[in-house]
Amino acid sequence: MRIAGSYHDGKTSRCVNAHLERFDDDPESVRIAFISDDETSDTSVTLQYSELKIASRLGNTPREIAFGDGRLFVTEDNDAVDLLIRQHGKSDTGSLLHRLENNSPLILASVVVTIAIIWATVIYGIPASARIIAFELPDFASEKLGSSLTVLDNTVFEASELSDSRQAEVSRLTAPYLEIYKDLQPRLNFRSGMGANALALPSGDIVLTDDFVNLVENDQQLLAVFFHEIGHLQHKHLLRRALQDSMVTLLIIFVTGDVDTFDLITGLPTLVLDLSYSREFEREADVFALEQLQKFNIPVDHFAAVMTRLEAYYAEQSEDNKNTLEQVVTKDEQTDNRSDEESISDFFSTHPGTDERIELIKQFKLNHKIND
Amino acid sequence: MEDNTAQNKALSFEFRGDGMEYFKIWIVNVLLTIVTLGIYSAWATVRNRRYFYSNTILDNSSFSYLADPITILKGRIIAIVAFIIYSVAASQFPPAAIAIAVVFVFLFPYFLNKSLAFNHRMSAYKNIQFRFKGSYKDAFMVMYIWPLLGLVSLGILYPLVFLKTNQYIVKNSAYGTTSFDFNASFKDYGIIFLIMIGVGLVFGIPIWAITVFVPALAVITPVLMILVYFGLIVYFIVETQNLFYRSATLGEHSFAANLTISGLAKVILINALLTVITLGLYLPAAKVRMAKYMCSCLVMNAAGSLDHHAAAEKENISALGEEFGQVFDFGV
Repeated sequence: MRIAGSYHDGKTSRCVNAHLERFDDDPESVRIAFISDDETSDTSVTLQYSELKIASRLGNTPREIAFGDGRLFVTEDNDAVDLLIRQHGKSDTGSLLHRLENNSPLILASVVVTIAIIWATVIYGIPASARIIAFELPDFASEKLGSSLTVLDNTVFEASELSDSRQAEVSRLTAPYLEIYKDLQPRLNFRSGMGANALALPSGDIVLTDDFVNLVENDQQLLAVFFHEIGHLQHKHLLRRALQDSMVTLLIIFVTGDVDTFDLITGLPTLVLDLSYSREFEREADVFALEQLQKFNIPVDHFAAVMTRLEAYYAEQSEDNKNTLEQVVTKDEQTDNRSDEESISDFFSTHPGTDERIELIKQFKLNHKIND
Repeated sequence: MEDNTAQNKALSFEFRGDGMEYFKIWIVNVLLTIVTLGIYSAWATVRNRRYFYSNTILDNSSFSYLADPITILKGRIIAIVAFIIYSVAASQFPPAAIAIAVVFVFLFPYFLNKSLAFNHRMSAYKNIQFRFKGSYKDAFMVMYIWPLLGLVSLGILYPLVFLKTNQYIVKNSAYGTTSFDFNASFKDYGIIFLIMIGVGLVFGIPIWAITVFVPALAVITPVLMILVYFGLIVYFIVETQNLFYRSATLGEHSFAANLTISGLAKVILINALLTVITLGLYLPAAKVRMAKYMCSCLVMNAAGSLDHHAAAEKENISALGEEFGQVFDFGV
């Protein structure tokens, strides 16, 4: 057999036509013929097959065969090279890969298996390992992750404008519970800014905003949200979210095989996953809050009531922003936009919808046999 | 200056890869990487790079990527071990972490040199390897001092960062024994930045005016902002790439690139759309489309034959440097 290609001597970039030959009477040796340096006569070298270093096949890219001293024979006739290897009966992991890459059922199976594994990793593997790490990790590390109250104070928060007596009242109300959860080192803080909101930071700081304290109708509603925040601390949610996000990033780098790909296209799934993880944590904190309310004999309906109130509060706020827009949008389009907005916003939101949360409360009551 | 043009010929680059073919290679890589818990990733990296190098054709010859996956695997293991040691040290003795961080700040330029040297040496064309030899001082300036000057001068010297970085990379590179040179000026980069600022203002101010004076249309302003932003990024890539190749020379040979805003924007948008629709499965084909476009815009103006470049002496770069280079390559 005879394979056409080109020859490189390894000393200069000169490239000349050449061919590789194998004779049936002497199957262990091959002859590579090329034009000599002075470009006048043909030269050839005869070598043992075992002296050849044949690159593994990769698609239909030119195949390089090295034969000592940096000399190289390059051919585009991949099939002939494969035949040469087969005739020598050598096991070749490179061609095994090429066979894998050209086996259509296997490619299809790879696609399915890969998607299944990635799905399982994202849905079960990452949350489970983040949970283990978060609860095994000593406390030093958790303090470094996540935003601290100082940062928020410098950016979004102002000092609270609540009266001292109101602050003292809320502190008295929550004091016994702060004592109960003292393992979590919770601290109560009042701030203004960020609308009606309550948040828990990994450091143990629980922040209640002025608007929120003014929004609740009674102590029980305030406690319901307070327990929800304690739930975030108890389950180390912020730490777990940070861990899960970095694991997703690692997974994407793993799958795409390089770091440069990490751009807008691959950033989108990271965002969607982050939000879906966040909603899962909110549900977990909701369940914790309901359990605590029940434990301290506070009717769980207060949780539903405060959620509804918060929703109404935010609806009113966005209504204010939208008013200007709605004047130019006709009534029909308005309703259309709404339903679209809701389904998309569900996908792109950090918290579960209020309907879903109220459904959760019903379910909780059912499970714990609480009658209305 | 005699009639030299008879010898000059424009050689175009061509990318012969195929989206479907690369998809198959890519998906097998992904599967094997997952099954081996990441160990195969070193082999996957080599196979990916080989595919792109070997399919890039100039003057009927392809480029080749020569790295041994084992070297890359060692590099990654070192990187992971170093990271674990750093994390543990940081948690147990915070002062040690600061000390390690300071040491690393001074080691990074060294790693940058090693990493570039490794990648150049593992790249070949017509059986001649590329080389890179940068000084520690140059690398240090490029990594820290020029960006710092750009920042301190409130951005006025920022084009210098791009100029100096490209000078550092190109002027320290060689193909065999022939050196590359780079002759762009501060002004060339400055003009690109000035035009970007100008265009940004021309579109940005009206958009800002809409938000303020016609609040009813305020909803469309984020969309307009994104369009302007995207346009500016594409403009920046097109102009800096074209300038880069226009300014680079290899001995007597020169290069030219004619990327266009519409051409590149089309490739980016099609790629992004199809990748999102297919939940990422289009990614390999997207990379092939980008490589095809980039190569189609690239020309080498060869002064005579490309056959006379000589190989350099074999260098003995220690395996340790090589692996640390890989650590850095993986770390950025």
